[in-house]
Amino acid sequence: MVVRSYNDELKYLEKINNYCWRIKIGFQPNMKVEGCFYVNAALEKLMLEELRNACRPGMTGGFLPGVKQIANVAALPGIVGRSIGLPDVHSGYGFAIGNMAAFDVNDPQSIVSPGGVGFDINCGVRLLRTNLWEKDVLPVKEQLAQSLFDHIPVGVGSKGIIPMNARDLDEALEMGMDWSLREGYVWAEDKEHCEEYGRMLNADPATVSMRAKKRGLPQLGTLGAGNHYAEIQVVDEIYDKWAACKMGIEEKGQVCVMIHSGSRGFGHQVATDALVQMEKAMKRYNIETNDRQLACSHINSEEGQNYLKSMAAAANFAWVNRSSMTFLSRQAFAKQFNMSPDDLDMHVIYDVSHNIAKIEEHLVDGKPKTLLVHRKGSTRAFPPGHPLIPVDYQLTGQPVLIGGTMGTCSYVLTGTESGMEQTFGSTCHGAGRALSRAKSRRNLNYTDVLRKLDDMGISIRVASPKLVMEEAPESYKNVTDVVNTCHAAGISNKCIKLRPIAVIKG
Amino acid sequence: MFKRKLSALQYPNFDAVNATDEKQFRKVIAWLEENKIKKYKSNNRPISDINSSNWKKSFEQYKKDVSCPVKSNLTIEELDWFVNFALDIEYLKNKSKYDQHSLAVLKSTSIPNVVADNPLDCLDFASKDFKTGIECIAQMLKISPHPNPLVTLKACSKLICSRFNQNAIKNPNDYIIKGTAFPFEDAIKGYELGDVVLQKAAKCLRLLYIQNLRELQTQCNESIVSVQNMTANPKTDTKLGKVGK
Repeated sequence: MVVRSYNDELKYLEKINNYCWRIKIGFQPNMKVEGCFYVNAALEKLMLEELRNACRPGMTGGFLPGVKQIANVAALPGIVGRSIGLPDVHSGYGFAIGNMAAFDVNDPQSIVSPGGVGFDINCGVRLLRTNLWEKDVLPVKEQLAQSLFDHIPVGVGSKGIIPMNARDLDEALEMGMDWSLREGYVWAEDKEHCEEYGRMLNADPATVSMRAKKRGLPQLGTLGAGNHYAEIQVVDEIYDKWAACKMGIEEKGQVCVMIHSGSRGFGHQVATDALVQMEKAMKRYNIETNDRQLACSHINSEEGQNYLKSMAAAANFAWVNRSSMTFLSRQAFAKQFNMSPDDLDMHVIYDVSHNIAKIEEHLVDGKPKTLLVHRKGSTRAFPPGHPLIPVDYQLTGQPVLIGGTMGTCSYVLTGTESGMEQTFGSTCHGAGRALSRAKSRRNLNYTDVLRKLDDMGISIRVASPKLVMEEAPESYKNVTDVVNTCHAAGISNKCIKLRPIAVIKG
Repeated sequence: MFKRKLSALQYPNFDAVNATDEKQFRKVIAWLEENKIKKYKSNNRPISDINSSNWKKSFEQYKKDVSCPVKSNLTIEELDWFVNFALDIEYLKNKSKYDQHSLAVLKSTSIPNVVADNPLDCLDFASKDFKTGIECIAQMLKISPHPNPLVTLKACSKLICSRFNQNAIKNPNDYIIKGTAFPFEDAIKGYELGDVVLQKAAKCLRLLYIQNLRELQTQCNESIVSVQNMTANPKTDTKLGKVGK
């Protein structure tokens, strides 16, 4: 790694406009393309502060700062366009979380990297609407939160209540949401409103290790821990009336349910197994990267293909998982209100993945190209008229679900044409960490965090209250800053703002 | 590729012709000239001497004489042109005989003259009565008429089939389209075509396409549901559940 003073480092960064910075070639060795990141004034400070801290003498260990990670990704073989940091970017394993990068599938040198997807493969957000209003729910808020908590097991080591054996799991890995449909856990319309229609066709359970399957089996239908949650939310603001109308959101005060979860231990094991394979592959194929954490292999190599197949299986696992929780949430609501989920109009508005790598067609310098797009902590945001988005959203653009943090707002955005040009149809995914987990534990007290939520009128059920400070709003960047930056930069449009009234968490 | 054409010309051994073989090529050209094309007098045909070392030169001259436009060294194209040329001469020689079998003549004689029982078949679509009649129906159905009354008729028929069928008359509420009107002129972005009318038309086409797609998706959903009726059996077992730490 090059050692420079902070002021020398700044020479490689250039502010293009109020919302976008360029990272020039040379900032890190071997950069094939430029990097860039989207920030507003408030997020810019956090970003540069992180870099300044890393430049202080004696600062070694831990993750590299986000800007450096974006630049390292720009040095990977086969990258096209730019290595892009979204407004919620923060350091992660290899790739920063909130980094997207696209690789030309037809270039034999191009790579696929598990670090570019993350450990929680196909972590994502699903939003259900209801025809209930805030006034219907407020009197029974506590009961409803308890009912959700009883239906959806949460926390580290939790086990699901949907009976499954090893054969069921193999089928689910191959079929994704089609499995949930076949078994009757979800509705046909749910599949329609899900990225990839809830199934990656190249999934191959045979490429997945026994260990991953063993970890995954009991965990289907569980929320997990960390920043995952299920929330009962209320529409707080509508920015785009027509787009909201297409999503079945009529007025402020309408009640929705948001589920944020991923592929649990299964995805983690798939990623871990792949990293071991990739490290060997790198030696064999002589692939050089700036950072050991960027272990990768050529897309068309055996290791690369195996990873893509097992990643797809993990993605399918996550969709079955979110589908199972959709089923359980509908049950919880149906019991509470003594009405069928149908009568409660509990349709899926959309389901997005924000940790995934997918093959997509994009225009690069005016020419169509097939790219492997890595989105880690970044959500796909396709524009109106794109063939891969559901028919109901053809006029509005793809809904993008941005989960806030515990006790803060969440947003629904829509994809734009400008985003397609600037960021390969990608936008932010959430708030993005500002403090590390350890730092949050040191600086905050969990009773204060819980009291604060109570003051805001939010019911909360947590499996391990002593860890809530890791997820406290203070540990994260301000989600409103993140969303506003995306809106101002034109990479997605604000549509709906939601505020939580009840949270269940790991 | 010349089999059928050469057989029509009654070329001996038409089955075995290989155009890429120089000798055979010369043989076919000479035969065509001698028997069909007959450009030269029979006593003065340098092209007939197929073993001559000057044959190529004579052939070039021959091509000029019959104004063959094909460039040299495209043997297959050349041969094809000469075969077609010979066929043309053959056809013109017996035009009246061949024309008896032409489609136009066949049609007029072989189709029996059917007298339609259905009065609709006797309609004269070009008549003024028909036109005003259709316009009247369109007005009643609130359909804006198209200059071609047949197009207007098709639109009327579509509307009647979908909204005035038995089910629709019995349960009109299932068929009346509900929902809020969508301001498509303002809300659909990205059609800057420079021409207001064209832009509006493009947006209408887009909406029609989306409607088609919606119908397809609904059919897909319906088939999924009918399969679900056989396979679905969602189970839960709360005893399995365990809340973590």
